[in-house]
Formats: sequence, C-alpha cells, structure tokens
Amino acid sequence: MNEYILQVRNLHKYFAELEVLKGINLDVSKGEIISIIGSSGSGKSTLLRCINFLEQPTQGQIIYHGVNFTERQQDLIDLRKNIAMVFQQFNLFNNLSVIDNLTIAPVKVLHKDKTASKAKAMEILDLVGMKEFAYKNTKLLSGGQKQRVAIARSLMMDPEIILFDEPTSALDPEMVGEVLDVMKNLAQTGITMLIVTHEMQFAREISDRVIFMHEGIVHEEGLPEEIFMHPKETRTQDFLKRVIKG
Amino acid sequence: MSRLVKGILTFVVAFAIIFALQQNESVLASDIETDSQEIIEAYDNIRFYSSYNYQTLTEDRLNQLIVDFYVPATYGDVTITWSLTSDFLTLSDNIETISVQSTSGLVDISVYHVSIVKVPTILQGDQVFELVGYFQYQDVSATSSYFGTLVPTIPDTFYGGVLYTFIRYIKLFLEGAALTLGISLVGTVIGFFLALLIVSGKTLTISDFDTSFVRAMKQVLQKISSFYIVLFRGTPMIVQASFFWYGLGLFGDALLCGLFVVSLNTAAYIAEIIRGGINSIESGQTEASKSLGMTRFQTMRYIILPQAIKNSMPAIGNEFVINIKDTAVLSVIGIFELFNQTRKIAGMHYRQLEAYFVVAIIYLVLTYTVTSLLKRVEKRMDLPVKELPSSN
Ligand SMILES: Nc1ncnc2c1ncn2[C@@H]1O[C@H](COP(=O)(O)OP(=O)(O)O)[C@@H](O)[C@H]1O
Ligand SMILES: [Mg+2]
Repeated sequence: MNEYILQVRNLHKYFAELEVLKGINLDVSKGEIISIIGSSGSGKSTLLRCINFLEQPTQGQIIYHGVNFTERQQDLIDLRKNIAMVFQQFNLFNNLSVIDNLTIAPVKVLHKDKTASKAKAMEILDLVGMKEFAYKNTKLLSGGQKQRVAIARSLMMDPEIILFDEPTSALDPEMVGEVLDVMKNLAQTGITMLIVTHEMQFAREISDRVIFMHEGIVHEEGLPEEIFMHPKETRTQDFLKRVIKG
Repeated sequence: MSRLVKGILTFVVAFAIIFALQQNESVLASDIETDSQEIIEAYDNIRFYSSYNYQTLTEDRLNQLIVDFYVPATYGDVTITWSLTSDFLTLSDNIETISVQSTSGLVDISVYHVSIVKVPTILQGDQVFELVGYFQYQDVSATSSYFGTLVPTIPDTFYGGVLYTFIRYIKLFLEGAALTLGISLVGTVIGFFLALLIVSGKTLTISDFDTSFVRAMKQVLQKISSFYIVLFRGTPMIVQASFFWYGLGLFGDALLCGLFVVSLNTAAYIAEIIRGGINSIESGQTEASKSLGMTRFQTMRYIILPQAIKNSMPAIGNEFVINIKDTAVLSVIGIFELFNQTRKIAGMHYRQLEAYFVVAIIYLVLTYTVTSLLKRVEKRMDLPVKELPSSN
C-alpha cells in the first residue's frame, strides 16, 4: 500500500493510428481536488475516460488502491462503484424520473433497498437544491438543473472519487454558477475530485493542484498559484492568455 | 376524419347485426294430417320445379329462389290446388303442362305457374312466402304449408352490384376482416417478442476479456440473428407460407401455420426497427450507466431498451398496418382471411369487379382506422425528445 488512492502509470491511448495520450503519469491522494486544463483535443476527456475504462487504455496502468485494473477487467464494476463520473452532456436517463435516475444504480448495482435509496436520494437532491423536482420528468429540466441531478446521481454511489468532464461547458452562462456552487460545496466534504474545466477562476479557487495538458502529455503541473500566476512553460502561458482573454 | 371512420364502422357493425338476425333456419313443410294413403303418398312425393330447365327444387332450393317455379296440380289421382299471397309472387289460375325428366324418360305433368312479379331489392332483403297446398282425393282432403324464400338478385349496374355484394355478404366479409385483424395483431405481438430475442443476439458485443468459448458462442448467435433477418426479409411471405405449410406440413392447422409465418416474418422487420431504435439512443446514456457500474445487460434492460422500444412504437404500429394488408397472401395456404373470403364471394355471382371493390374499401377502412388509433396512442404516450449527441 501507498498513500495514493489512484495512480495512472505511463498511460498511452491510441485511436487507430492517432496517439491521443502519450504516457501520462498521475498520482491522486485522498481528498485531493485536481483541475485538468488544456486546449481542446489535448486528451483531457480521454484521460478521464481511461480512468474508469469507458475507453480501454492501449498501454499503461490504472491502479486504484494498489489494484492494477488494467489486468483485472473482470472486476471493473468494483472500480466504477467507487469512481463516479459527471459528463458534459449530463447523460441523464431519459426514460426515468429524476428520483429514479438517482436510485437505479444503488438498487440494481449495490442491491440497496428501494425505500432507503429513495430517502437517501431525497437528501442528496436537497443538497443540490433539486428536491422539489424529484418526481419530474428529466426533460422538463434546464441544463443547470440536469447537471445538478447528474451530480446527485453520481453521489448516490458514495464514490471515493468523482471525475468531472467539463461539467459546465454545455450550459448557458447564467446556469454555470449554480453548478459550480454545488461543486464547491462538494469539495468541502473531502471527496476526491478530478475536474476537466475551462472555468479558470473556479479552478483556481477550488483546486489543490492544477494540471495543464498539451497534445497528450502533462505539460505542466503545480499549485493553482504557480500555474495561473507564474506558469513556467510558454505553452501554458499561451493557453492561459488565450482563455483568460476569452 | 375520425368521425367519418366511426360512422363507417357503426354502419358496418349495424348491418352485420341486422343480417345476422335475419338468417332463416331451413323452412320445412308442415306435416299433413290425414288417414288417406293416397294423400300421404302424394304429400310425400310431390316435387316443385324450377322454370329453369324444369329442374326439381329441393326444400332447400325453395329457400333460395331467384326464378319462377311450378307447383304440381295432381299426383296420381290426388288433385292439388294452391294458394299463395305475396307482393312478390303470383300463382297462375290455369294449369300448364311441362315435360320433366324422370327415370322412365320424359313425362308430362300438370302444374301451376308461380311467377315472380317483383324482385326484392337488397335493401328489402329476403322475402319469405307461404304456399298452402290443398290435397283432395275423392271426398278426403288435407292441407299443407310450405315456406320458401325469394332472395334478391345481384343488379346489373356497378353500384347496385357493390351495394348488393356488401350487404348480402357482410357476414362473410366481417368474418374475414376479423381473421385478418386477429392474425395481424397476434402476429405483430408475437413478432415483437421474437424480435427482442433476435435483437439481443444481433447486438451482442464481444469484449476483449471473454473466454474463447463465450466469444465463439456470441459469434454464432450474432450470425444466426443476422442470417434470420436476411432470410425473412429477403424472401416473399407467400413463399415462406407455402414452404412451411405445403413443404414442411407444419402444425396441421393452416391458421396456426399462418400465424407462425406472420410472426416470424414480422419479427425480422421489428428486430431491425428496434436495432435502429437502440442505435438512435445517444451513447452518453450508455456511458453514464456503465460509469455507475451497471452491466451491459442492466443498461439494456433498464435504460436503452425502454427508450428504443418507445421510440420504435410508431414503426412497430406501422408493421401491424402492413400486416393487415400482407396477410392476404395467407389465402395461398387456404386461410379464409379477408382476401380469400372475397375470392369466394366474387365466385358466387362471377362479379369480380364489385367484390374486389368492396374489399378494397374494407381494407382501406381497416388500415385507416388502425393508423389513426395508433396515432392517438402515440400522442398519449408522449414520445421523448431526443437530445443532441454528446460531443466528446
Ligand atoms: N472515440 C474516438 N475515436 C477517435 N478519435 C477520438 C475519439 N475520442 C477522442 N478522439 C480524438 O482524441 C483527441 C483528444 O480528444 P479528447 O480527449 O476529447 O480531448 P479534450 O477532451 O482535451 O478536448 C482528439 O483529437 C479527438 O479527436
Ligand atoms: Mg473533452
């Protein structure tokens, strides 16, 4: 055992001939909040998706609590029970009501009691300010509401880590705040978060560590102050100039 | 529009009931009461003759009259006189002689002529009449009643023929339509469940971590499902029906065999519809489901299939409508569904045009009604709005 709960070792990912990840190394400690920034196409989403095996790593290791899951694919479900994911497009289940979106996985995957799950779902919905929408159809919700429900859904599994892939990028500007607020509250609870985001101010406030990715490698990483105020690499500087100018 | 459909349906059903009630039981002559052997013999042996070639009319033919006929004036030494009151028939006063064929060659017999003065229209319907015979031998006499039916004949005009065909054979048409609807509906429902099996086979995914045995099994199932779909979509249903019924002699009951063929055929089409429905669900929901630890089966069962099926409902309903038309080919294996009933009806008067015109209308009413009913159900079901596919 070591102090890290998640380790990514020399991760390579090819899509056919295209090498998207070129040897990523990343160690995550419990409770750490890590923001991943970088321009579009640099491989941020692919990195997150490899961590919970929505994409098969071509080479390298994903080690969770000392277990190398690249060699334990039959136990993937155990990994996914503990590492939740929040998507850019929310990906709510359209055939289920808000509360059923929350309870389906605990009931079917963890074999939790349905009534208990519902009670828990109501608590979590309350946490994200969506309690009064519990029995609504998901398609009646705004983007920001959908994303808050999606976050609530991921919390139902009591995950140790949540992966966020640009959770506010598909939202109208006026809805970004409500989702970021929920994430900030979440950060207080000590849960481990890996966040791909273009919200630089938010990343700076919330993160323990910031990772800048460029063309499939971790180009620079450090404390938020270091990366945002004194980036060493010219590519990091260029990127920040571009995004902060807007 | 739906009012029109309702109107037509009410009309059809009302006619069916009226004509079902009007069905006559076979009308027999009442028994005669007398001690006279001669009269009893006369009563037992007299025959009625059709004016057409002087054919003998059986009791039953007296119930299907469309031409004049003759009643005997004597039998042996018994004289018979007749009375008949009807708006449609008259009985002549004077005796005529006709030559009829008997075992001893042509014999002349004395008869009264019953002539049709007015043909009932199809709207007036069958006309029952009572013919009373007075049997007289020396000073003994007895009476006997005979009942017959004058039936409407098919008019020469097209519209008359259509109306006649429709009303006279409404029961046969309705029986055929009921069978057609029944086979189509049951076939579509069974086809739907078979389709779920086929789709499961066809959408099996082979993962890198399957054992070689599991992998081989999955490949075989995939191949079978694909082959099934190609086979049933690529051959005409009339060939499938003939193959299973005449070729393999399945079930020994044409109706079961027909239902079997329609179900298998529909399954192939619905399988492709549902597969399309599955493909149209954004992959994001599958990924969300996976990321929550759900298995492929759970994802299909609880997330993807319910949506795919819901989205496929209009197309599946359409398969039902297509089946209403396509089950006509089952006539080839001798099922009396709507089309085959019509062939039978068309043959009765050699009036193909009118019969097929009527059945075309009935098919139209069926398909139109079912289509508008399904549309309503679809509106009620409130199909889900599709979201934009995920960009990453
Ligand atoms: N499923 C895929 N098939 C092929 N290429 C892909 C696939 N997913 C991502 N890519 C490519 O990989 C590169 C990195 O993509 P991505 O990880 O989504 O970047 P980011 O999230 O940083 O914008 C891009 O060039 C993208 O086109
Ligand atoms: Mg991305």
